[in-house]
Amino acid sequence: MTADFLARGLARGEKVYYFDDGTSDAVLERMAEDRVPVAGPLRRGQLEIVSPDITRGAFHTPLPDVRDLLLSYIDMSERDGWTGFRMTGQMSYGATRPAGIPLSSYDAVLDGVLEARDSARALCLYDRTRYTDQQIEEMRGVHREEITAPAAYDDGLLRITRTGLGRARLAGEIDHSNRPMITRLVLADLDKVLRAASAPTDIVLNLASLRFLDVTTAVSVVQVAEGFPDTHRLVLTGVRPRVQRVFDRCGAAFARQLTIVELSEARGEPGVPADTGVAERAASAAEDTE
Amino acid sequence: MKVTPRTPADLALRHAVAFHDSAADLFTRSVRLTREALERGDLVALALPPDVEQAVHAAVGTAGLVTLAPAVPPLSPVSGAAEGSGQTTAALRGRELRMLSRDHPGLTVLTAHDERLDGADGAYWTELDAALNVAVADLDVTLVCSFPSYPLHLEVLEGARANHALLLTGGGLRPNPDHECPAEVLRTRPAQSPIVLGPPDLRLTYNSWQLHDVRGALETAVGLVGFETARGEDLVLAVNEVATNAVEHGTADAELYLWASPTELVCEVHDGGILREPLPGLKAPHPKDPRGRGVWIARQLCDLLHVWRDGSGTHVRMHARP
Repeated sequence: MTADFLARGLARGEKVYYFDDGTSDAVLERMAEDRVPVAGPLRRGQLEIVSPDITRGAFHTPLPDVRDLLLSYIDMSERDGWTGFRMTGQMSYGATRPAGIPLSSYDAVLDGVLEARDSARALCLYDRTRYTDQQIEEMRGVHREEITAPAAYDDGLLRITRTGLGRARLAGEIDHSNRPMITRLVLADLDKVLRAASAPTDIVLNLASLRFLDVTTAVSVVQVAEGFPDTHRLVLTGVRPRVQRVFDRCGAAFARQLTIVELSEARGEPGVPADTGVAERAASAAEDTE
Repeated sequence: MKVTPRTPADLALRHAVAFHDSAADLFTRSVRLTREALERGDLVALALPPDVEQAVHAAVGTAGLVTLAPAVPPLSPVSGAAEGSGQTTAALRGRELRMLSRDHPGLTVLTAHDERLDGADGAYWTELDAALNVAVADLDVTLVCSFPSYPLHLEVLEGARANHALLLTGGGLRPNPDHECPAEVLRTRPAQSPIVLGPPDLRLTYNSWQLHDVRGALETAVGLVGFETARGEDLVLAVNEVATNAVEHGTADAELYLWASPTELVCEVHDGGILREPLPGLKAPHPKDPRGRGVWIARQLCDLLHVWRDGSGTHVRMHARP
C-alpha cells in the first residue's frame, strides 16, 4: 500500500517524502519489485527519504513548529515546480509520546495543514505490530477516511492482497509450503464472481511481485483455468519472464481461458493497480506497512 | 477435472536388439536396415560408431538420414560428475526422437554399442535401454540396438537381452523370450551411483518449509558459475523441483549438496525415502496429469540428472555447465 501510494505520487510528478524509521529499505525494495523507477527520482530529489533522526525529532518539536515545517515543505515543493506534495512514513515512534504529546495532536496538526493546502496528500500508517488496538481505534476516530488492505494471506514467503472483486495481488514466492493457497484463492474468487449480480467476467491476479512459482503450482493454475466456465477467464498480469517460462512449460498456451500478460506489456493494462483516484488526505491504513 | 491415465495401450515403441560378430557384420546389417526403412518411407536416425556411419552414408547416401547427438556431450565434463548416466542419455534421446517423430510419422533408429561408455561393468547400457523403454514407450518408432556378441562385460549382454521386446535375427523381428519390463530390470539391476565427488562447497539440511533456503543457496551458486540470467533461473527451478520431491515423497528432512566452480555446477539432493518409480521424470507428462511434470522439466533443464537408490534412500545428482 505504501509503495503504491509513493509510486502514484512519482507518476503524477509530485514531490514525495517518506519519513523513515527503519522501514524504507523494504518499501524501496517493493517499489523496485514493482518495476517503479526509484533511482532517478531519488537522484533528482523528487523522492526523499527523511532520516529516522529527523522523523523521530519531529515528535520532540512543539506542535506549531511542526505545522510551520510541514507548510514550508509543501510550499517549497510548489515553488520547485512539483505538481503536488505527498508524504507517508513510519511514525510509530510518536505513539510512545516521547514529548508527552498525544499522537492525535500531531494528527490534528497534519489534518489542518492538509486542509490548508489542496495539493498535499498524506497517508498515515498504523501497523498492528507497532500500535495497540486502542491506539488504532483512536486514530480511526480522527481520520476522515480509512484505507484497509489486509492481506488475504501472508506467511512471510507469499502475500496475497485482495484488490477488488475477483482481483488480487500476489507477492513473493509460491512453493510446496504454500501452494494450496493459490488454487483456493482462484476458486473462491470465481465462486464470488459467479454469484455476484454484476461482477466482471475476469478473475485478475497481479503477479508483478511474484518472484517464483513452482511447477506443480503452475500446472494447478492452468488446470483451474481450464475448468472455468466459458464466460469467464483467469487473467494473470505483470508476469515476470521467469514465471512466464514456468507457465509456458506447463501448457499455459493451450488453456483457452487463461490469459497471461507479461510484465513489460502490463504497465497500464487492466489488472495492474491503477490510480483509483481515492482521496488519500489524512487517510489511515491499518495492518500493512509495506 | 477428468484425469486420463496412461495405459499399456499407449505402448507403441518397437525396441529390438541385434547382435553382431564384427564391425563388418554391423555395417552390413546397418546398410540393409537403412535401405529397408527408406523404402518404407521412414526417416532413419543413426547413432552408430563414426566409421560405420560414414560407411552407411557412402553406401546409401545421406537423403532421409539424420545423426543423433552423441551420448556424451562434446564438451567433456571437467569433474567427471556427468559421466556414465544411461538415464540422462535416454532423456536426451527421448527429446530428440519425440521431435523427429512429430515431423515424420515413420521413424527408424539404428544405434550401436560403444565400449567407451561401458564404465566399470557395462551397466550403463542396461540403464540406458531400460530408461529408453520408459522415455519413448509411447512413440511409434522402430529402435534397433546392435550389441557385440562377445562384449567385454557380461552385463552388456544380459541387459540387452532383458531390455528389448524384439529380437532381430536373419528372419526379421520376433518376440524376445528374455524380455523384462523396465521396472523389473531396474529392480534387479538398479541405477548405479555416480563417481564420488569431494566434500561439497555447501551442505544444507532442509524441510518443506525451507525450500526458500534451497533456492537462495542455488541463486548464489548460479551467480558464482556465471550462468546467463534465464539459464540460472531455470536451474534454480530444476533443483527446486527435485528438492521438493525429496521432502514431499521422501522424508521430512532432506539434504542439498552443492559444488560450484567457474565451469560447472553440481547439486545433489538426498532423502531417506524409497522411490516407487525407479527413474522418475523420463516419461513425457500427459497434459492432464496433475503431477509428475517437475522432474521431467528438471531433466530438460539440466545437462545431467541422475537418480539412484541405495540402503540410505534416494539420491539425485544434477549437473550443468554455462
